[in-house]
Amino acid sequence: MAAPQGTVEYESIYKSEGKVYPREVSGTFQRLRTAAVFWLLGMFYLFPWLSWDGRQAVLFDLPARRFYIFGLTFWPQDFIFLALLLIMAGLALFFFTALAGRLWCGYACPQTVWTEVFLWIERLFEGDRHQRMKLDRAPWTWKKFLRKGGKHLAWVLFAAWTGFTFVGFFTPIRELGGRLFSLEWGFWESFWAVFYGFATWGNAGFLREQVCKYMCPYARFQGAMFDRDTLIIAYDPRRGEPRGPRRREIASVLERERGLLPLAAAQAAVAFHAWQTAQKGTARVTTGLADQPPPAAPKASRPEELGDCIDCTICIQVCPTGIDIRNGLQYECIACGACIDACDGVMDRLGYPRGLIRYTTQNLVEGGKTRILRPRVLIYGTLLLSLAGLWSYGVFHRSDLGLDVLRDRNALYRETLAGIENSYTLKISNRLTEPRRLRLSVEGAEGVIVVEPAEAFTVGPDRVERLPATLRAAHGTLHGVQQIRLVLTDLERPEHRAVRETRFFAPEEPLR
Amino acid sequence: MSDFDHPPRPLVQRLGAILWPSFFAAGVASMVFFAAIDPAELAEISALPYWPESRELGYTLGFLLFWTATAASSTFTWILLRPASRFNRRPG
Repeated sequence: MAAPQGTVEYESIYKSEGKVYPREVSGTFQRLRTAAVFWLLGMFYLFPWLSWDGRQAVLFDLPARRFYIFGLTFWPQDFIFLALLLIMAGLALFFFTALAGRLWCGYACPQTVWTEVFLWIERLFEGDRHQRMKLDRAPWTWKKFLRKGGKHLAWVLFAAWTGFTFVGFFTPIRELGGRLFSLEWGFWESFWAVFYGFATWGNAGFLREQVCKYMCPYARFQGAMFDRDTLIIAYDPRRGEPRGPRRREIASVLERERGLLPLAAAQAAVAFHAWQTAQKGTARVTTGLADQPPPAAPKASRPEELGDCIDCTICIQVCPTGIDIRNGLQYECIACGACIDACDGVMDRLGYPRGLIRYTTQNLVEGGKTRILRPRVLIYGTLLLSLAGLWSYGVFHRSDLGLDVLRDRNALYRETLAGIENSYTLKISNRLTEPRRLRLSVEGAEGVIVVEPAEAFTVGPDRVERLPATLRAAHGTLHGVQQIRLVLTDLERPEHRAVRETRFFAPEEPLR
Repeated sequence: MSDFDHPPRPLVQRLGAILWPSFFAAGVASMVFFAAIDPAELAEISALPYWPESRELGYTLGFLLFWTATAASSTFTWILLRPASRFNRRPG
């Protein structure tokens, strides 16, 4: 079928992307990333098994509407703290992005962290990058079947354990584990375990870099927080260009006469190579650079004119998103630092100083100066610190006695022999882990007394109790609406009080 | 005005672009809504006679309702952004 007039053929734009086979790498940043994997996943897999005060240390008990996080208990009315926490998380993301780029993506994002583990498993069964590519091209044999099957089995087991752990944050995990083999899980427990396990398996095993490129909103807007002083991972084209293989005897440009290229020539070289990579399809290029016709790039007619990049392409091979960092900053770059480690290793072998690809800023790479304290860093930082202070103060000064008052919806007041009565429903929450004796009293209006509950009453530990209450004023003492305060006092701890404003209605004064 | 007409996107991309952001938005909305309102109390409201009494079912139903609304909105956006050529396509 021919495409409608004026449209571009489907295939011409949506070329199916090849699979990325990240090459394994070792170095400082790889060690940091491994440490982050152990730390973060360690917390995830371990926390549900810890106990605190006889209950699970971290438990989000949705059916009971209580969140337990170590010594802290959060109730639904503490939602403000969750909201504040989310705002702080957002601000922290802005702050660290402005300061140091995509630290989150490279080291802390669950997508990165779980993908790393799934890659380790893949390597264990299928070998290094070269072996994996060969295995995928090879025809199906028993050996390939066993290697692939082993990997998938390990992936599924790991994902299933992940799903189980996830549900263990919402249902006590020991009890959940005990019910596993007797098949006594509820429908929603099973559903979420399978759902989360499936999502982990799909995202970390198969989608991988696609999640960052097509699903993640942060990848799209992080650029807005960047400026020319933000820490980025960049290739130094002034030092690297013109790139090319060489005999080993040539020293680094930093140690020979040629020195760094002028900025314009280095940028021309980058634009030329970006365009060329796009034509050849050797790496993914989505920068605007690739749309330009190739400008004149500096060429090395003699080995002495070569820059330090030997064009070994190892920086591309290690990249989990399959880009060429030498084409400049791209939104696909998750700032994992793998290309830095790879390039440093090559520089070491050549006897060149490290840092052809390095953590730097746009200003520095162009030969300028950079500064850390910019207005946006200061503003984000100040906001973040003050919110954190507010939050901590609030959390540790929460009242552990709560009172909500609902007026009776049916009647404003009731006339009885004894006087004018108003009815209310009290919602009393006791956050203590022990029962407490409470008494209700009225303030703010002369002559209003508590009829019900007249006696002191008990509210159990960690409970919300609904209680009817009745107030009375003698006939003729009050007219119209009165603002009053209901006060709840703990008899054993008089300093614990909860106060709520409400209204008391009485008949209007008769016209004279 | 450019006469470039973007080619149709693959079905997976279309579905993903509608379902994924709406899933995310529905998750946030459910969290805010159920932090303020106990699903068990919704069952007591006479205007919602069929609301389930169990909290787990209440959370689930609430989330699915939010997701329906957000996905409908995403779908509407997608329909509005479709170029005219999709509607004026010649038969065959």
